[in-house]
Amino acid sequence: MGLIMALTHLDARGDLDTGRLGDDVWQTVVWNDPVNLMSYVAHVFREYFGFDAETASRLMLAVHHEGHAVVSRGPREQMELHTQAMHDYGLWATVRNGASS
Amino acid sequence: MTDRIVVLEISAIEAVHLSGMVRQFLELLDETSVEGAAPPDPAVARLLPDAYDDDADASAEFRRLTGSDLLDRRRHDAGVVLATLSTGGPELDIVTAEEADLTRAFVLTLDGEESGAWMRVLAAIRLVLASRLGIETEDDHDEEDPRFGIYEWLGFRLDGLVQAVDASH
Repeated sequence: MGLIMALTHLDARGDLDTGRLGDDVWQTVVWNDPVNLMSYVAHVFREYFGFDAETASRLMLAVHHEGHAVVSRGPREQMELHTQAMHDYGLWATVRNGASS
Repeated sequence: MTDRIVVLEISAIEAVHLSGMVRQFLELLDETSVEGAAPPDPAVARLLPDAYDDDADASAEFRRLTGSDLLDRRRHDAGVVLATLSTGGPELDIVTAEEADLTRAFVLTLDGEESGAWMRVLAAIRLVLASRLGIETEDDHDEEDPRFGIYEWLGFRLDGLVQAVDASH
């Protein structure tokens, strides 16, 4: 009896955690391409996301050297808005489920 | 936004060439009809990339819902660039113009919205050109092909504008 109750309790808490994580498990990923200028990519990160120059530069370098960088995490709809905005700037961006990657 | 004024100085011949490229860019956008599938022209497809790299259905849905608006914003940007260029001086006919007229510099004053449109348009035309030129790495270059010169000139102008806008913050 005690064991079953403990398991049920654990399950309920697990569900709650999953529900909460579900909101910010999505990511906006920006991918490297051979065309966009490094200065322009950093500028876009500063202007659109409001990052300071150092953060924007660090993310831009991650895109450049590692091939991609996660620039935002949150609900899926919001990540789709960010991705659309990145496409407006000509950056190559995708939405990704961070839990399954 | 509007208080971030940047000043751009370009020659008449640059302005003429850039106007021509922006008009071609507009024609390309006008020939594009947005559906769920990636556009058959790779240059246009680069402007409307898959939003999901592992889910074709979600990418198609995303493109169907957002693609037309994106192209409308691109058209608007292109219109802003043409409008600001036309305020810089009279239309030049590059065949009949005197050399002094072609090399004459004129100064464009861009507010925050205008400089944003300029950067997005220059970046987008570079993407289209890169696709046409088959550029796949940053080192791809062909000295013999004058289109690479145009591509690099666009990059030079874009980088200058980015520096100017960043400095105005």
